[in-house]
Amino acid sequence: MNAEFKVVWKPRPQIEGSAKVSGRAEYTHDMTLPGMAFAAVLRSPHAHARIRSVDLTRARAMPGVVAAVSGREFPDLKYVNAGPAFADRYAMARERVRFVGEEVAALAADSLAEALAALAAIDVAYDVLPAALDVPAALAADAPEIHQKPDLPRNVAQTSVATFGPVDEGFAAAAHILDDTFEHGAVAPVCLETNGVLADFDAASGDLTLWAPSQAPFFVRKEIAHVLELALENVHVRSVVIGGGFGGKSQAPEPIAIAALLAMKAGRPVRLLLNRQEEFLSGKSDHGKKMRVRTAVAADGTILARHTEFWVDNGAYTHMGPAYISAVRQRTCNLYRVRAAGFDGKLVHTNKVSGGSYRGMGAPQIIWAIESQIDEIAERLGRDRLEYRIAIANRPGDETPMGWKIGTCALAECLEEAGRRIGWDEKKHAMPPGRGIGFAAMINPSVGVLYAEGNFACVSIDLQSDGRLRVGTQSADCGTSQNTVMGQLVAEELGVAPELIDVIHMDTDETPPDLGSAASRVTFVSGAAAIKTAQSFRVELEARLARHWDVPAEDISFADGVAGYRDDNERRLSLVEIADLEGPFRVEDRHDIDLPRPDPATGYGHYAATYGFGAQAVEVEVDPTTGHVQVLKVVVVQDVGRVINPLALEGQMHGGIVQGIGMALREELVFDHGAPVNASLITYKAPRIQETPEIETVFIETNDPTGPYGAKVGGEHSINPTPAAVANAVAHATGTRFNRLPITAGDILQVRPRRKPLALEPWKRPYNLEVATARALYPKVLFPGLRRLGARLGRTRTPKPTCAYVRPSDLADALRELAIPGRHAKPIAGGTDLQVGIRQGVYEPDVVVDIADLSELHGISIGEDVVRIGGAVTLSEIVERDDIRARHPMLSEGLAKIATRQIRNVATIAGDLSQEKRCWFFRSGAQCYKAGGVTCPCYAVLGDNRHHAIMGAGRCAAPCVADAAPILTALDATVVVAGTDRLRRIGLEDFYAWSGETVVKPTEIIVGIEIPNSLGETRQTYEKAADWDGDFANASVAARLILRNGRVTSARISLGAVAPLPIRAKQTEAALLHGDSSAAALRSAAELTVRGALPLSGNAYKAELLVNLTQRAIEKCLDETPSPE
Amino acid sequence: MTPLATILRDSLGLRGTKIGCGNGECGACTVIVDGRAICSCLAPLGRMPGRSIETVESLGGPDDLHPLQRKLVERGAFQCGFCTPGVVMSLIALLRERPDPSDEEVRCALQGNLCRCSGYVKLLEAVREIAREGSHER
Repeated sequence: MNAEFKVVWKPRPQIEGSAKVSGRAEYTHDMTLPGMAFAAVLRSPHAHARIRSVDLTRARAMPGVVAAVSGREFPDLKYVNAGPAFADRYAMARERVRFVGEEVAALAADSLAEALAALAAIDVAYDVLPAALDVPAALAADAPEIHQKPDLPRNVAQTSVATFGPVDEGFAAAAHILDDTFEHGAVAPVCLETNGVLADFDAASGDLTLWAPSQAPFFVRKEIAHVLELALENVHVRSVVIGGGFGGKSQAPEPIAIAALLAMKAGRPVRLLLNRQEEFLSGKSDHGKKMRVRTAVAADGTILARHTEFWVDNGAYTHMGPAYISAVRQRTCNLYRVRAAGFDGKLVHTNKVSGGSYRGMGAPQIIWAIESQIDEIAERLGRDRLEYRIAIANRPGDETPMGWKIGTCALAECLEEAGRRIGWDEKKHAMPPGRGIGFAAMINPSVGVLYAEGNFACVSIDLQSDGRLRVGTQSADCGTSQNTVMGQLVAEELGVAPELIDVIHMDTDETPPDLGSAASRVTFVSGAAAIKTAQSFRVELEARLARHWDVPAEDISFADGVAGYRDDNERRLSLVEIADLEGPFRVEDRHDIDLPRPDPATGYGHYAATYGFGAQAVEVEVDPTTGHVQVLKVVVVQDVGRVINPLALEGQMHGGIVQGIGMALREELVFDHGAPVNASLITYKAPRIQETPEIETVFIETNDPTGPYGAKVGGEHSINPTPAAVANAVAHATGTRFNRLPITAGDILQVRPRRKPLALEPWKRPYNLEVATARALYPKVLFPGLRRLGARLGRTRTPKPTCAYVRPSDLADALRELAIPGRHAKPIAGGTDLQVGIRQGVYEPDVVVDIADLSELHGISIGEDVVRIGGAVTLSEIVERDDIRARHPMLSEGLAKIATRQIRNVATIAGDLSQEKRCWFFRSGAQCYKAGGVTCPCYAVLGDNRHHAIMGAGRCAAPCVADAAPILTALDATVVVAGTDRLRRIGLEDFYAWSGETVVKPTEIIVGIEIPNSLGETRQTYEKAADWDGDFANASVAARLILRNGRVTSARISLGAVAPLPIRAKQTEAALLHGDSSAAALRSAAELTVRGALPLSGNAYKAELLVNLTQRAIEKCLDETPSPE
Repeated sequence: MTPLATILRDSLGLRGTKIGCGNGECGACTVIVDGRAICSCLAPLGRMPGRSIETVESLGGPDDLHPLQRKLVERGAFQCGFCTPGVVMSLIALLRERPDPSDEEVRCALQGNLCRCSGYVKLLEAVREIAREGSHER
């Protein structure tokens, strides 16, 4: 099929592949310039506050500081963004801050350490204002006003209301009306390379040069020139390699203007790189939405009308919110055949991080809402969900209520193929328990973007002096292979070997204008420009040779990289020879998509040159014990026109689908008082390799007449139907439809039909009465009171920028170091918690004492009676020991479930036991009870407490998440601790004072662990449920049973992650000694683990989880062969 | 207390080792120390004297790729490339230990290497292929 072309429609590896894989590709993070200064940003700790003053005097006097700026130093101008109606953000906060993390001041210094240290010397005075932290709060009558936008209701940035066709009549005539509301929070792009910039200003010429990972240098230039009052031609964006985009680098990111102004003030180049937390705090996320979808269906299945009322959470400032309004409108009116459609949407400001762009621009979630309802409609109609979709699929020649004229369209074929490949007909009547299959489809305009500039692109081709061609595009390749594709298109068009073509992207000096990589537009628009430019290049080349040889241009041909005059062998020139003859020359051309703009208010109009379609089928398996959803297989069938580079496009499909799985099941920014509490890559749960399913990719190639070599757009097609297909598969597997994303394991556990509700009986523990009373008083009295009191009297944590390091030669030396009075010393071994904790302000040592290599802390000995493991033995070393696995399999298996290989290779057994609590409020800087002291509240009581303790919590609800703790408790192990004058042996049950707090003194070191052997036939199991393999547990159970003649004679069961301490399940243990081993008896025994639990508002699922895990652990113990303990 | 990653990048100019988080959560900074893959952003420099440290630069340049690297390029196993040097180092450590790893062993070795672009599918395919061919040693 692809024989007619040489270079396109064929897999081709990335042209930057070798540079990237060898670590030689230069990203912004890798760029340096002589004299470069390092910048750091001071961010608002408040969601909404008036800035009374920013005083930079002290900071400017700090060592190494070369420049400092606040909002006042910038011109009084706002970013242009989507036009004057939406321009609401200054380059840096001026009078007010509107979200936690907003830029308040910045400085540059000789070193990053000096810059960070000087941030503490910036004096800012705030008047804290009431904040609107979610959409309902922002629309409430008494809501604080976030912006003054006179023509709109309070806190509304845009409204969009329209109907196309007879919507009311449709609802009046309907046989079925469905009315469902769907909701989701904000996900984040999570590029591996965080945003950053290197800025260099030449005062003499007025030129500002920027190296920044931007999807759209066009925007960067326009916005930076505007907010800094520079001439457009003085702003130069240069080419860099970009470490991921997904929308996260599609606007002019705030760091650029800040670094630029610092460079102008300092007279030196300035580099500003966001750290991972800053990337989450200020890097702009997707937009959260609530969508009420109503659909009117005739008895024959025809969709008579669909109407969506929706609210988009815009965050503090408007960036791409209008495009999210547009995405909902488009799917409401165009996905499947719909007779009439309407919408009523609002873009609403809240005091949270601003929404930006993320792959799909809101389409995945509105598709999820509509596709959930399509399943329900099929059910009402008694029709097969796949057959029904095929029946209502868009087809070529359709015109939708919104005025889209469907050209090429293979949606029905895509759905059929997806069904065939997932095996729907064979499987649907024979699904094993816990399995489910879901379908979803998508429609995507082939380009059509908010900005008029999106419908044209320019490309340059240079013949270079060495005879190589250089294709120039101002668009930016963030890893999607678009540079490779551009090279392929030019190679094909000119008949030049692709190896002879270089591609330069981004550079505003060397490449002609292009809107940039957004809305999957590059192949379609810039690609068409590349072909056109190649044609112009051929014309120019032939004209030049015609002049040179003095022959008619039409007699000159250029093929396979050689130009010739007729069949004259004397006059045949390679590109190298032409370059020698003519010198380097350049050709530029542009491609325009000539379409009227859609109606700005309603979006009505034939929006794009053509439309792409696709379907996905997903099979999942739900674990009834944990609620965990494993996506087993995804079939993606796409109509993206012709495929220019299948290798690259398959990669786009895979990446988008796995992101879509994250969106469906795990990813969400969790906010507390406007601040994200999961701003880390452990707690923000982007999918890892263990979750990757089998993905089968099929392209049904329609040859679209409007696209380059028949191609349509492709990049975002991948993610668009994935959350919907996953959610439909989960609904199929569980019989329950979830109207909120992500659908977590906890959500699933809580709705699964159980035998009977668990009897928690919290009142049997008198202590719970006190706790429950306090919690009841939290919302109105205790939390606000303690928060105010804590702000006045509580301890504040300030992360220390530096800390000394010593490396003693032996244990005695180390103990002496720890005992030196007048300083706070901490031992460090693996350091995987300590070093991160120091940055978080969780640990505040003046000095760390490196004990990792002390011989006294190493070695593993397997004795007759006891197994001894040195305190600094790494988790990997333990996991790899066959003799330990044979003796204590639960230890090996349990430690293997901690974190990742890289962490286990350095983290130690003593360190796992000793790590600080992982409560995300405590870790993200909240001035909570444990951080600030007794005058401060616990944030978990009213905040998102899904990971917190369900029993034993008091003023702090952080659970014990050290996996080794329940395991070693169940093994009845002892911790051996050395002080300067003596060794202590502490049983695991006496080892903890609270979550993350041990009885080891600051002057002591854990030298080892001793695990006794027991007599008899021993069985061990460790069961752990976590959000991802290696994550901290949501619940865990370590069980060790001793059996005699098939009866349990001894049981030690320890529970992790459900209480501040690793607790023994003594009632369960006792029940096992007396009960039989019937399933019912085991279940009853397991249910005793939660007797006396008092869950918080959002973690009742943990009770079910704990009981299920306990049951499974006991059953496994009884099934398994004994270990030779 | 300076981490190894800072010295590699800023003092030695070995910028193939990337910093994606600085907290040991993403694996972009993975290097091999004494045969084991570790996060160099959490490796205290003071502990490094006397140890063997291998970074992506130790494998060869763009014109002299290690067979594993060549395979990753050919199979489109990465996109933006920012996580890739770390992925390569994790795989080198794995393949030395287990020349013919199971899928589960590959997944286990790479669980600490976050990749947002590829969905890991082509990465798994590439490793499967290189293990099958036994072509991962120079």
